[in-house]
Amino acid sequence: MEKIISYENLTKLVDGIIQSGHIAIGQDEKGINWKRLNDAKELKINYASVPSNLSYKEFLFTKTEPVFYFRNNKDNFNLIEPKPEINENSKIVFLGAKPCDSRSIEIMSKVFNWDYKDKFFNQRAVQSIVIGTACNYQDEFCFCTSVGLSPVSEKGSDIFLVPLDDKNFAVKIISEKGKEFIAPYLNLLADENISLDKIIVGIKAPEKKFDTAKVKEWVTNNFEHKIFDDAGATCLSCGQCAFACPVCHCFDIVDEECDYTCGRRMKNWDACQFGLFTLHGSGHNPRETHGKRYRQRVAHKFKYYHDKFDEILCTGCGRCSRGCPAGIDIACVVTNINTVANQA
Amino acid sequence: MCNNIYKPELMEVTEIIDETVDTKTFRLKLKDEEVAKNFSFKAGQFGEYGVFGEGESTFCIASSPTRSDYIECSFKHVGKVTTALRRLSVGDTIGFRGPYGNYFPVEEMKGKNVLFIAGGIGLAPVRCVIWNTLDLRDQFKDITIVYGARSVQDLVYKRELEEWKSMKDIKTVVTVDPGGETPDWKDEIGFVPAIVEKISPKSENTVAIVCGPPIMIKFTIPVLLKLGFSEDNIITTLENRMKCGLGKCGRCNVGNVYVCKDGPVFTYTQLKELPQEY
Amino acid sequence: MNELREKARELLQSGTVKVIIGYAQGTTPLHTKPIIIRFAEDSDKLVMNKYCVNNLSVYLTRKEFKGNGTVGIVAKGCDVKSIVQLIQENQVNKDDLYIIGVNCNGAVSELGKEFSAETVATKCLHCMVRTPHLYHTLIGTQEELPKRADTNFEMLQKLEAMTPDEKWNFWEAEFEKCVKCYACRQACPLCYCERCIADKSVPRWIESSAHTRGNIAWNIIRAFHLSGRCIGCNECERACPAGIPLSLLNRKMGMTAKKEFDYVAGMGLDTPTLVGTFDVKDNEDFIK
Ligand SMILES: Cc1cc2nc3c(=O)[nH]c(=O)nc-3n(C[C@H](O)[C@H](O)[C@H](O)COP(=O)(O)OP(=O)(O)OC[C@H]3O[C@@H](n4cnc5c(N)ncnc54)[C@H](O)[C@@H]3O)c2cc1C
Ligand code: SF4
Ligand code: SF4
Ligand code: SF4
Ligand code: SF4
Ligand code: SF4
Ligand code: FES
Repeated sequence: MEKIISYENLTKLVDGIIQSGHIAIGQDEKGINWKRLNDAKELKINYASVPSNLSYKEFLFTKTEPVFYFRNNKDNFNLIEPKPEINENSKIVFLGAKPCDSRSIEIMSKVFNWDYKDKFFNQRAVQSIVIGTACNYQDEFCFCTSVGLSPVSEKGSDIFLVPLDDKNFAVKIISEKGKEFIAPYLNLLADENISLDKIIVGIKAPEKKFDTAKVKEWVTNNFEHKIFDDAGATCLSCGQCAFACPVCHCFDIVDEECDYTCGRRMKNWDACQFGLFTLHGSGHNPRETHGKRYRQRVAHKFKYYHDKFDEILCTGCGRCSRGCPAGIDIACVVTNINTVANQA
Repeated sequence: MCNNIYKPELMEVTEIIDETVDTKTFRLKLKDEEVAKNFSFKAGQFGEYGVFGEGESTFCIASSPTRSDYIECSFKHVGKVTTALRRLSVGDTIGFRGPYGNYFPVEEMKGKNVLFIAGGIGLAPVRCVIWNTLDLRDQFKDITIVYGARSVQDLVYKRELEEWKSMKDIKTVVTVDPGGETPDWKDEIGFVPAIVEKISPKSENTVAIVCGPPIMIKFTIPVLLKLGFSEDNIITTLENRMKCGLGKCGRCNVGNVYVCKDGPVFTYTQLKELPQEY
Repeated sequence: MNELREKARELLQSGTVKVIIGYAQGTTPLHTKPIIIRFAEDSDKLVMNKYCVNNLSVYLTRKEFKGNGTVGIVAKGCDVKSIVQLIQENQVNKDDLYIIGVNCNGAVSELGKEFSAETVATKCLHCMVRTPHLYHTLIGTQEELPKRADTNFEMLQKLEAMTPDEKWNFWEAEFEKCVKCYACRQACPLCYCERCIADKSVPRWIESSAHTRGNIAWNIIRAFHLSGRCIGCNECERACPAGIPLSLLNRKMGMTAKKEFDYVAGMGLDTPTLVGTFDVKDNEDFIK
């Protein structure tokens, strides 16, 4: 016996979420980005189409946000805490997260919580409810199975949907948080006699392209290698790959004016592929070339982050590659590394 | 929830010293007395100094932890925030976050000889340890200071250099690069590594602290190794570009090391293990 | 394709060029990607087809190619426009270039989609340079281009019919989406400034934050800096992960340059640039 929910009832659930003052986050009409749904009719569960250009990271680690305001009254400085734009009692509900999206909170939590704790990220992470969905899409850019996930992975989801047909999903309640959240809406679920396991087994997965342990070992021993220069040779140094990525978390801190009497310090997305990212005041730049910057991207994801936090900094969504204006495909680069490592 | 790690404490500029044409030293006092009472740091740590409306900049704490009712920082004018800092006067308010990072192993250095080697503005972090050791003079053996700058005009902490030179129980050698001397210059002329080789300090039971431009460090370390210093006893600092100082913003890493948290102080043994990306 | 590879091999072997910037097969048959080759034996990596969308002239202004011998570049007519514009703006030396011009049969609007009448890029619909207007060697033969309605132009007309308030609301909603990744700038062959105004910090002219205010400032300033210069390759719009219709802005600016000054960017090697010329007869009635 499994719980199922119809698309229609899912829409009602979203209605309920919005009515009770929670924030429903779903994909936009074009599947480009995620947005706050104002109306349940806007709901789209894109389980069978390509991952959106941008991930929903924006709602956890925002592209820009004030970390405090400052006001100067006659040499008397006041620092003012920003008010969270989302009420702390509201849940932030991500609807239709694929396995390569739903892992992002757990992965990013590591860096935002070692020693110093980033309350801005944490606050949203605590408020979040991830309603994940099994994924029925795959293309040449997908590689979730190479980084320990799969189209049916429940990791990171609080509630997990498995599409049964166009109109119905099986519902699996994964976490305590999910259980608590769904409690008021249990009437929208129905019992059905199906074998979910069979359905799950039937969902096709992209083939595994590389072995992260092998890649990590090779990167450790081959820091200076032509492979990185070749991979980065045509990189345009834009931020697309980092900004689209569900787990890239680099940021800049800058001050700006609000008006003539008040200013604010902002935390803004930044990316290691930008030429200015590591430029010293003296003009010295430790990562001067595209190759060195691309090496940082690969090494951070498949070695450094794993060294430090025991996580691969990648969910295999393929966004960075699909969107790269220079056609650089991270899975190809890493698969290449794996091949070279095998030959060594 | 927990506190805001990006929000600084307020500090008042209580004294400004012009070190060179492009370098100033600020003496700073925490405005909040409660915070000031609980404030402490260790030699080698750094902070984020902010001018509201302009941004933040990373400098080491240049004063000694043994003098805890104020901190000092020395900064060179290079960009946005340092330009703004330069324009401040006594009584102005700045933001301070810190202390951050690891520190020099001053405790372990006790009972040993200490050799300080610094170039240019690199004397700032070293000065912090120098005063730290001088304030506890009897707990250390021989103390030697070698300091060099491009020219006489570029020497920082000139008063203190004179003071150290006049102290009987330490040895202080000051040098300028060839061509950087003035007609009345009486101290050494030559690059720092050459001068270290010339005075050839003994390596036995000695810790060497080396800070300065990368090129100086690169050429000084082989000299120290030749003199017999062990790799564990050569200590330096890395200055990668930083923003957060908290191990979050992602720009200061050298390989899997965040310089802002795992550094900025590294022994040569550790440095050798890191990829060449600093 | 063989013609291209043979030509490339010959150019590299004879030393006529030091490097060739061209296209290689991408992740799927419906993708290509830029490649920089230096050895004759790599010539077989080159491809030319309807999925060669990149405007490769973006690489010409890189330091590594300056003063390091002749650079060969595979270019469609629209790419040659930006090459011409770069030569006009003294960014690229004509004598250091070897253009392998391509008789173009259209390019797809979005990589990953099969080329067809529905997916042919807007810029191809009215292309005047299917045979490039400047080249050292020309390859390929022309076929009939598929036709479709120019929906981009229809949208532009709709925009033009809007009141200023409506226009503002339209663009505000679009720019709000910008994430300040600067992919538009980085993909643009004519955004070659050593230090972009968006990166200047003393003083900071454009707020770097990706809030609506900062985004509007960025996108409008970029549109200004490209007006009379943009050659309409549409690489900026293709690169934008936020799906902002940058082509509407650029196209409008281009149409204005044509209407007011009878100028089309990237067409005449010997004509001075639009923004680099002053003529007393210029229409100045916008200054009131
Ligand atoms: C651990 C640590 C300790 C340090 N200790 C000290 C210290 O004790 N003393 C000290 O002086 N420094 C120290 N530094 C270096 C110091 O942090 C930098 O020099 C400082 O942050 C520069 O800040 P800024 O805002 O003035 O420069 P920014 O404005 O941020 O300049 C940064 C970049 O912008 C460029 N830039 C700036 N302005 C312009 C312009 N007008 N036009 C074009 N480009 C421009 C510069 O080339 C530079 O690459 C330390 C660094 C670290 C990591
Ligand atoms: S998206 Fe591609 S071109 Fe842009 S920085 Fe990333 S790898 Fe380079
Ligand atoms: S690195 Fe690329 S594939 Fe991996 S999670 Fe980020 S965007 Fe997805
Ligand atoms: S890959 Fe680059 S942008 Fe992404 S988190 Fe790592 S350092 Fe930051
Ligand atoms: S602005 Fe866009 S369309 Fe115009 S030249 Fe640049 S990239 Fe091409
Ligand atoms: S490419 Fe798009 S999102 Fe990125 S900066 Fe340009 S307009 Fe903004
Ligand atoms: S300075 Fe931000 S991570 Fe080190």
